[in-house]
Amino acid sequence: MIVDMLIGLPAQRPGGIVLTVLIAVSSGAIALVLGAVYATVCVGAPRLSVGLQAALAVLRGVPLLLLVFALAQLTTMPLTLTGFLALLLFSLCHVGETLRGFMAAYPRALRDQALILGYGRIREWACLRLPWTLRTSLDALATHWISLLKDTGTLTVLGIGELTTVARALSERAGVGDWELILVTAGLIYLLVIIILIQSLRLLNRKLSPRDTMVI
Amino acid sequence: MLVYVAATCVLWALSGGLAIGAGLGLAAGSVSPRLPWRTFSGAAITLTRGVPTSLLVVTAGIISIRIPPQRWLPDPFPGTATGSAPVAWAVLIALALGSTGHLAVIFRTAYTGLGRARLDQSAVLGLGARRRIVMLGREAAATAVPPTGARLVHHLHNTAFAALFPVTELFGWIENNANATFDVVRYATAGAAVYVVLSGLIWAAFRVLELWLDRSGALPPARSRRPVLATGAPR
Repeated sequence: MIVDMLIGLPAQRPGGIVLTVLIAVSSGAIALVLGAVYATVCVGAPRLSVGLQAALAVLRGVPLLLLVFALAQLTTMPLTLTGFLALLLFSLCHVGETLRGFMAAYPRALRDQALILGYGRIREWACLRLPWTLRTSLDALATHWISLLKDTGTLTVLGIGELTTVARALSERAGVGDWELILVTAGLIYLLVIIILIQSLRLLNRKLSPRDTMVI
Repeated sequence: MLVYVAATCVLWALSGGLAIGAGLGLAAGSVSPRLPWRTFSGAAITLTRGVPTSLLVVTAGIISIRIPPQRWLPDPFPGTATGSAPVAWAVLIALALGSTGHLAVIFRTAYTGLGRARLDQSAVLGLGARRRIVMLGREAAATAVPPTGARLVHHLHNTAFAALFPVTELFGWIENNANATFDVVRYATAGAAVYVVLSGLIWAAFRVLELWLDRSGALPPARSRRPVLATGAPR
């Protein structure tokens, strides 16, 4: 039972928690890159990107479950790819908006500093603006990533063999007394992975926070 | 379709209300001076934040589907068969649990964000416990309202998990009709439009609440809302 939950049912490997983490990490990472591009476009050309912003705002109002269902019904992609794409879109519309908000709040003092140092626009973006945005938005991004890892459970409607699907399949086959154990075990695996993620993000946050305090 | 929208709204309102109540309780427990309360609340917050809502709903549904209908159990869910009322209640509780931990963290952050000095100040003012809670609650609400609205939009989206069981709600309507007619685009678009409108209404309601709190003086005046630099050195 535990092996199936970790690496998936024999006919659907890799699955279980391995597939859950793989899909969450890959969609989260790509959404972060695309979100940074989206934020840059929105901050650089706010009038031109109104349509893009409106599209993402509408997408944020659509439940992930509906997005997964619609993509699965309307495309002929493999189901795992469909699930990945749905999570990517879901993550992008949240991460993009978060990064846009923080990038827009980039302090004027840093911009002036870049001018004094003789930085060009691209160098200023790469060396100052983007690192500042990522560092200050880390708390908000961390909350989203925790939510993203939990939301992989939504892919159970596709039956692609991630942890919730494995737990459902095993508990439906199990006799009285066993299905509770299966669901509790699945819950504990999720909990453990999320605690590891929270602790890692906390460490990263501590590492990235400025050590020197300004003294007046 | 209206029945399905109404059922979604009932499910969202009841489970959301329950989640807010439980979130407030856990937030209060997690800042309590008593160690057992703090430990219990901290563990409950970690647990409800760490387990996916989908798994909570699946567990609640599987447990309750074996329970026969009870006469004393009310059935406020439009469109759901009376026999499925226990499943609907179990799904409702699971949905509430899925948001409880997140809301508790929002409320706790808003409360502790008032600052040690402000909390101590309210204690030495000599106000009664009720007036003190009302005063601090209103001040903390200004910080808590925007993320609570965002969480309740997410909570609305989570009600779609009820479709995994015989509980009437909007996503079930979309899924059933799309599968029956193969007209996925029509039903998915109609359903998405309703979800977008409902999400927009929640967002607008919380924005109004935020403005009302701002105008009614729950927030300090704009000039004093500048970030404070905490330094160890005397000025």
